[in-house]
Amino acid sequence: MNSHKIMVIDDEKIVGDMAKLSLEQEGYVVETFLNAEPALKRLQEEKFDVVVTDYKMKGIDGMEVLKNVKALYPGTQVIMITAFANLDAAIEALRRDVHDFFPKPVKIKELKASIKRALEKQA
Amino acid sequence: MTNLAGKLNALYRTLRGVRSSGESFGLLFSLFRQVLDDNNKALEIITDMGDTLGGDYLFDIQYVRRSYADLHAAVNDSLRDFEALTHGRYPRLRDTFLNIDDGIRHVIDETVIAAKDLVVFYENVTGDRVRDIGGKNYNLAEIRNALKLNVPDAFAVTTRAFDAFMGHNRIFEQIQIPQDGSPVSGASLQEAHELILHGEMPPELHRAIDKAVKKIKSRCKGKCSLAVRSSAGEEDGEFSFAGQFETVLSVPLETAAVEKAYRKVLASLFSEKSSIYQKRLGYDLRDMKMAVGCVVMVDAATSGVLYSIDRQGNRDTLIINATWGLGTSIVEGQTDADLYTVNKHGDREIVEARIGRKSSMAIGREDGGVMTIATPDEKSKRSSLDPGRVAELARLALLIEKHFRRPQDIEWAIDGHGSVFILQARPLRQASDDTRMGVASAVAPDAHVLMKNSGLVVQNGVAAGRVFILKNINELDSVPRGAVLVARHDSSHFVRVMTEVSAIITDTGTPTSHMAALCREFRIPTIVNAGNATHLLAHGQEITLQVENEGATIYEGQVRQVMERARTSSVRMDELSEFRKKRYLLRYIAPLNLVDPLRDEFIPQACKTMHDVLRFIHEKSVAELIETAQSGVKAGAVKLDLTIPAGIMVIDIGGGLHNPLHADHVIAEQVSSLPLRALINGMTRPGIWRSDAVSLNVNDFMSSMLRMPDLMSDSGSRVESNMAVISREYANISLKFGYHFIIVDCFCSENTRNNHIYFRFTGGATDMTKRSRRLQVIAEILGEYGFNIKTKGDLIVARLANISRDEAEKVLDQLGRLISFTRQLDAVLRDDQAVKRYARNFLDGIYQA
Repeated sequence: MNSHKIMVIDDEKIVGDMAKLSLEQEGYVVETFLNAEPALKRLQEEKFDVVVTDYKMKGIDGMEVLKNVKALYPGTQVIMITAFANLDAAIEALRRDVHDFFPKPVKIKELKASIKRALEKQA
Repeated sequence: MTNLAGKLNALYRTLRGVRSSGESFGLLFSLFRQVLDDNNKALEIITDMGDTLGGDYLFDIQYVRRSYADLHAAVNDSLRDFEALTHGRYPRLRDTFLNIDDGIRHVIDETVIAAKDLVVFYENVTGDRVRDIGGKNYNLAEIRNALKLNVPDAFAVTTRAFDAFMGHNRIFEQIQIPQDGSPVSGASLQEAHELILHGEMPPELHRAIDKAVKKIKSRCKGKCSLAVRSSAGEEDGEFSFAGQFETVLSVPLETAAVEKAYRKVLASLFSEKSSIYQKRLGYDLRDMKMAVGCVVMVDAATSGVLYSIDRQGNRDTLIINATWGLGTSIVEGQTDADLYTVNKHGDREIVEARIGRKSSMAIGREDGGVMTIATPDEKSKRSSLDPGRVAELARLALLIEKHFRRPQDIEWAIDGHGSVFILQARPLRQASDDTRMGVASAVAPDAHVLMKNSGLVVQNGVAAGRVFILKNINELDSVPRGAVLVARHDSSHFVRVMTEVSAIITDTGTPTSHMAALCREFRIPTIVNAGNATHLLAHGQEITLQVENEGATIYEGQVRQVMERARTSSVRMDELSEFRKKRYLLRYIAPLNLVDPLRDEFIPQACKTMHDVLRFIHEKSVAELIETAQSGVKAGAVKLDLTIPAGIMVIDIGGGLHNPLHADHVIAEQVSSLPLRALINGMTRPGIWRSDAVSLNVNDFMSSMLRMPDLMSDSGSRVESNMAVISREYANISLKFGYHFIIVDCFCSENTRNNHIYFRFTGGATDMTKRSRRLQVIAEILGEYGFNIKTKGDLIVARLANISRDEAEKVLDQLGRLISFTRQLDAVLRDDQAVKRYARNFLDGIYQA
């Protein structure tokens, strides 16, 4: 089993909880955060292979997370999820080399497939 | 309110009297269609919510809010149009809708409906109390009140009492609970524990408990003690924290002792053991509200635990653990108790009995508490239950399982007089859940695929079993456990076997049907609209069905790879507290309780969910349409000339006739109403309409004379009263032939979900025996076409819904034939054997006597 590290940031507990449970089933090591600040602090300590982040959050938003992750670890892939289909945000995120952009609700199977592709990209 | 409703009613009635032309019926009809459209929109949202909250999607509260706002709007629209359609005749429906809405909003906003009382006796528990008395109390009260089974006298101490106690003693203010959700320290837990044990009872809670204790005391004449146990705030009782919280047994009936036990149970919320459990399931300690049950102890001669299916998921057998005395040793996992495996069918005989040594037994102590003693020798190796008792327990278990629609884990006790008491019932989490719920994605390259990607997915999962091809709805009772039910049409009647079948496949149907909703609720792998499964699969054939969002695959035989992959890949989302909290919402939305309009109590007050409200609206809209079409629409009728003397007058409310010219009669070719055309095609099929006189015997003649004056006029001008109100997609046809009356009401549009056929047949000239034989022939034939049938005396009412236009036309053609075929059939049905013969002949296309 691989033990790639995945970080999930979403200000709603249920999203992190569900993502953690289903991604752990795939053998990933998953850490969840309810807001970006402690998540970015954690990233300073350790590299994660994939970061899944909500777009709209209080304080630091998903776009900031994306910028920060890319600055720290250019190879780490970021997947952004958002409650509303937001074209402008999607374009902006793509410009900043986001790996994937999903509107919620996100089909878990698709998220898993996207993570798999993200890891293949790094390999 | 009632007065206002009354006035509105009167006004509507007046208006109704005024509106009695074909034109106003057209208006009514467009309202009817509007209601159907609203309903469909709402049902689609319900289906989408069911899917999204099913565990396959990451969703957030925004999704929940948005979807519910859409659903609310759709149901509200439907209700508004329905009120206009039915002239405000069901004012209670809006109240019910508002109540359900209120419940849903509380779930979404995570606000708790404040419990009214601190203490509530089980006999006073109503359906809306789950949240404030906890699952354990609620289930037991339900078993007492709804199933009328023996449950010990008991009262619940509500979550409001919990809040009062915690607030009064300022518990949460005094302990450290980290804000970020990390575990509470052992020291803090210990502190909370101590604070609660030594806390002061708030005065009003003390008075309430005191009063309840005295009431129990007077009812059991002072000769009893209580079991005080947790009923933690898990609303559906699914996660009952089995064994995590304290239970205090044999508590003397004294207020101080009960209060002490109450505090002990509350304090166990803060034990290290339970906090780990809570953390695993994602609970926040501050969210937990503990209700407590105070239940009179049964002076048990024998007691134990029962699983209504065995742990391996075998649904044919149930298992009973039993021991002498109190059941505490079994609950705590002592293993030398007796174990009976019992057949759930027939006489419920014991399949296997393993008599344990039962070396020790638990009994209540005089001064409270429980003590364990050595089992007397003469008892220890003897079976603690006789076969009669085993069968009795099995019977009760099946009742409870049926009521709660899930396999059950039941604690029971038998007292010295031989009375069986139910002490607890909760959903059984069985191993086979995994295979039923699994997100399966396995490939089985060697397995022979019988069908692939056919049909519409209703519920994902994997199942294996023998095919049971249901030809006639009347055969439903003979569907064996574990079978894969394969049928031509879907039907909400399948609910009767949903705890038993392993999967359902239907040739026709939609994923938003009532049956589909039930399948999701029961988590039965299901596909509908699979085309010709009833032909491709053979009765008795063993198959494995794998249903995924992408489609379904049916393999020949038992395919182990598929079954095993399903087991290991399942993710138990429902172990997450946040997930369950959101999913709980569906309880108020998706389940269907008003299953059978012909039998169930079909009143607004019986609606418990949004789905029920929609179902009620649909059924009553159809009824309204039929009723209105039957009465008061006469103007603008033209005569329909047919090759048979059926004497039908037609009123076209839009698109039902072409080239109507200005003549006062039309011919069959001018009928463009799909349902009427199909029906008359059948009716006029050569050789079915008998025109020769059928001789009536003296009894028949007398019997007819007693009821109606115009026996001799079965031909000629009298039949002009036959009437059809039609549009392109609708027909309401009322026929009177001699002494029997027929109503056919049908809507057959592009949208399968909207379509229905209603058929009603009553009366006849012959004596009751012959008339009822004719009804049997009709019931037999209609059953074959999938109709849901109700008969009473010489009346038969049959309905079929959720069928495609093509299917509806085929069925109407058959109905037309049936109408002509049975016109004088009663007179020739001289014995009961004739019933089967004529029904068979009809189905085989043989119409001559």
